[in-house]
Amino acid sequence: MSKFYQSIGVALLIAVFTLSSLAAKPTLTVYTYDSFSSEWGPGPQVKQAFEKNCVCILKLVGLEDGVSLLSRLRLEGKNTKADLVLGIDTSLTAEARATGLFQPHGLQLLNSTLPRSWSDDLFLPYDYGYFAFVYNREQLKNPPRSLRELVENPQGPHILIQDPRTSTPGLGLLLWIKKVYGDEADQAWAKLSSRIVTVSKGWSEAYGLFLKGEAPMVLSYTTSPAYHIIAEQDARFAAARFSEGHYQQIEVAGLVVSSKQPALGRQFLSFMLGPEFQNIIPTTNWMYPVSLEPSKLPPAFNQLIDPAPALLFSDTEIAENRKRWITEWLEVMAN
Amino acid sequence: MLNINALAFSYQSKDRQSEPMLFDLQARAGEILSLIGPSGSGKSTLLGLIAGFNAPISGQILVDAEEIQHLRPAERPVTIVFQEHNLFPHLDVFTNIALGINPSLKLSQAQRSRIIQALDKLGIGEFEKAMPGQLSGGQKQRVAIARALVREHSILLLDEPFAALGPALRGEMIELLKSIVEAQQMVALLVSHQPSDALQASETTAFVYDGRVIAQESTRKLLKESKLLEVNEYLGYL
Amino acid sequence: MASKSAYPVLGLLALLVLAPMAGLISVSHLASADAGIGELWQSRYIRRVLVFSLWQASLSTLLSTGFGLLVARAFAHRGEFRLRALMLKLFGLPLVVPAVVAVMGVVSVYGSNGWIPLGRSLYGLNGILLAHVFFNLPLAVRLLLPVWQSIPAHHWQMSDALGLSAWQQWKYLEWPALRETLPGVALLIFMLCLTSFAVVLTLGGGPRSTTLEVAIYQALRFDFDPPRAVILALLQLILCILIAWISSRFQRLPDVEITISNSSLRKSISNQLINTLFISIAAVFVGMPLLAMFIDAINGPLLQVLGNARLWSSAGFSLMIGLCAASLSIVAGWALLDTSTDLALANQKRGANLIELAGSIVYVVPPLVIGTGLFILMMPWLNVFEWTFPVVILVNAMMGLPFVIRCLGPPMRQSKMRYNRLCQSLALSGWNRFKFVDWPLLRKPLGLSAALVSALAMGDLGVIALFGSTDTSTLPLLLYRQLSAYLIPQAAVTAGFLLVFCLLVFWLLETGIGGKSRVEY
Repeated sequence: MSKFYQSIGVALLIAVFTLSSLAAKPTLTVYTYDSFSSEWGPGPQVKQAFEKNCVCILKLVGLEDGVSLLSRLRLEGKNTKADLVLGIDTSLTAEARATGLFQPHGLQLLNSTLPRSWSDDLFLPYDYGYFAFVYNREQLKNPPRSLRELVENPQGPHILIQDPRTSTPGLGLLLWIKKVYGDEADQAWAKLSSRIVTVSKGWSEAYGLFLKGEAPMVLSYTTSPAYHIIAEQDARFAAARFSEGHYQQIEVAGLVVSSKQPALGRQFLSFMLGPEFQNIIPTTNWMYPVSLEPSKLPPAFNQLIDPAPALLFSDTEIAENRKRWITEWLEVMAN
Repeated sequence: MLNINALAFSYQSKDRQSEPMLFDLQARAGEILSLIGPSGSGKSTLLGLIAGFNAPISGQILVDAEEIQHLRPAERPVTIVFQEHNLFPHLDVFTNIALGINPSLKLSQAQRSRIIQALDKLGIGEFEKAMPGQLSGGQKQRVAIARALVREHSILLLDEPFAALGPALRGEMIELLKSIVEAQQMVALLVSHQPSDALQASETTAFVYDGRVIAQESTRKLLKESKLLEVNEYLGYL
Repeated sequence: MASKSAYPVLGLLALLVLAPMAGLISVSHLASADAGIGELWQSRYIRRVLVFSLWQASLSTLLSTGFGLLVARAFAHRGEFRLRALMLKLFGLPLVVPAVVAVMGVVSVYGSNGWIPLGRSLYGLNGILLAHVFFNLPLAVRLLLPVWQSIPAHHWQMSDALGLSAWQQWKYLEWPALRETLPGVALLIFMLCLTSFAVVLTLGGGPRSTTLEVAIYQALRFDFDPPRAVILALLQLILCILIAWISSRFQRLPDVEITISNSSLRKSISNQLINTLFISIAAVFVGMPLLAMFIDAINGPLLQVLGNARLWSSAGFSLMIGLCAASLSIVAGWALLDTSTDLALANQKRGANLIELAGSIVYVVPPLVIGTGLFILMMPWLNVFEWTFPVVILVNAMMGLPFVIRCLGPPMRQSKMRYNRLCQSLALSGWNRFKFVDWPLLRKPLGLSAALVSALAMGDLGVIALFGSTDTSTLPLLLYRQLSAYLIPQAAVTAGFLLVFCLLVFWLLETGIGGKSRVEY
């Protein structure tokens, strides 16, 4: 008799295991920007690493850039298929908050390498970078050593920048100059404008023009030289260190309020802060991971300049003033 | 028998306006009625009305006592030969004629032989597979007439078909036309700028002036003994 | 009597333009607060943007069409020469190239390190004009050349016999023949230049060179101010309608029927030298940026990029989009032209012009506006991601309509003028008419239209970026992603591949549909 019950027990166990493995895996949909989810970005490795442990399918949807992320989410509203949004930066978080589409993540950011502590309940950072002017060491021997020097020296190098209306680095420079010059930003731009070769639509156009030699300096990130060193074994490029400090860009992720997988979403968010994810970031996204010790960064990152102090406006300050500041910039530049 | 009764028409668009035209005409089967008159008098317009390209304001077009003025061009028992562009330049002679019988080019054996016969009758049998680009003006017009032949419609309209031909060729073509029209008992209207054509082709000629047929009588009388000022002016007698 | 096929298409077009705008207005409540800073400044800003848009577009059009005319004339007078066909194919290329790649090509040639260094003066109106002429001169040449082929041989012989000078020849023979086509071509190029985006933003040098299209992009993308985007888009539309009306005043449809000529025009040695010179200059001007792109491509990691499967799958997607958009565009364009040519022949020229204008003007509505509006409309009911390709094809087909109308319109009008009555009297209509008459006679312009529209669609970057995601990859998207990921040498190879691929498709479509026959009917 007991054998009979044993065999039934075994059969039941087999049935249960088979059924549970046949059950569909939940899908976690993450909206992010193109360069994250593309084959050269962090996406493929992140997906592999997360799916190892989560019993789920991670679906990364790449939408053009960070700004499009927010617009897209606005358009989709509560009907959005996204569970998480990854890739907005802090210049947009106030507006993102105002949409009412995000819910508190409930996690804490410990061991962060950010200069200031993080207190946003809706958004968690995953990486950050600093804007800087990149130049070719062989062609420019004496780069300016401060923002003021770049602006005030009429014999200074020509530069390539991006449009703050259409690009985040462009906006970054605008905010940088605003931070350093305050109310005199207009005069600064007026002095700088004679050395601006062109104001391009996005980062890639400006960087491409720089590599073609159209100007000795281009607005990019402090981590750009790392790409050339690591991927191309080319050490000619460097970022100019400015004494006032460099403007910071922090990229964040948030949990969508209408998500059907909040637990899974939070699981991803803590994975995002964990070492596996953070290790992928430096050589795929070319930014500083937010909770990885500096000693664990690739060696080439040690050759990068120290951008301290990190300059940053609060997200409410940006939300209140962005349009006005851009308008003022237009006033100066269009004349 | 073709009867045109009080057929009224005028051009009403921005680019082309005219005084109202009013046509009255009769033509018998088996003969060619010539239409002569100064340019702009409405001869081609009249042909266009009969063929169905222009819609009259009022009036009747009767073919054997049946009204046709409401029918579309394809439904009328009419074949028209233009001054030029009668043939599709990218199709050979046989196909050009065949389109006249059946626009989908599905022909029975009988229809095919009819086409060959028409080509022979018009003396262009050797050009069956030729392209219009290889033919002379006269040969092309023969093809157009061959098409008219195979269609076996009762009305044949010709709008200055021989204008580009020399006198000898023209004479030849007119004789050919006469024999065909008589054999098939068609009603034929021939518009021409040459009064000598009318003399050769027709017993009866109509004179069109300023949108009206102001004379329809024996050709000889019209050309030699007309009392009308307009006719004599046109013929150069004044 | 006139065909009615245009009206459903017109209705559909109106729907596709107005519905998205309505959709955008409907989400205006989602717009971020603090719109409308300083109304006074805004209107001054808009006015400045308007003026600049008009200025750069007019200048570009003048240069492109003017030089295009000269070069087309040179081609016509020069007659046959060995490389002629190849050169004309070459002139079909610039349309294919995505603007961002062309800009790089222009910079390679005229930048600080280029072959003809212009230095900083490149960035400003000069650069914009250079790039625009690069794009549009070849187009003008291809669209204007057929006009010379329609001037009757005996007109040339007459002018010889009368001993007309070159100027008189122009005045009495060539100019009247051009008056049908030239305004339409100029209008098309004007629209292309007005809505040009990447060129203005990158080569413009700065905010001084802001156009309406940029302002719309900013309003929709960055500021998320849909009503403003709609207003600006409508403004752009109205502007173009005005220009179109002005240009139509200059247009003269031929009163006299134009007969074909397949004999060559007169040649004198000095004339031939000048013609060859013009043609060579044009070929060099157009060829240089293309050559620069090729050189950049060859210098890049060829094998690595070509061996990547994603390149080929992207090419496949691009091809599918191009062919579908071309088919749709041709069908719609044919329907529109069928009615408009009938109306024109019945002397109802205003109706004819209106239909053709409606078909052309859709180009001016920014794809971003249409795309976003469609997105908003579709979203509550459909999974947008599954509809990426149909929407991209649809919008690209709309963008291709003006090309179909320009290419196919005059030959269709001519063909109808000659053969309409014959076909009517032979009861040759519908499918039979198409099979035996329209297709053989109109194959060539059909082939060119198909090639042009598919080239345009294959090189499109705007619409697909909006609706696509990483999974849907076309060649231009792939290119842009590489550019954004520091992979600039790889992007150069992709750009070269895109060029060759599109050239191939262009050639295949033009000869495949157009047929090999060189005889003009």
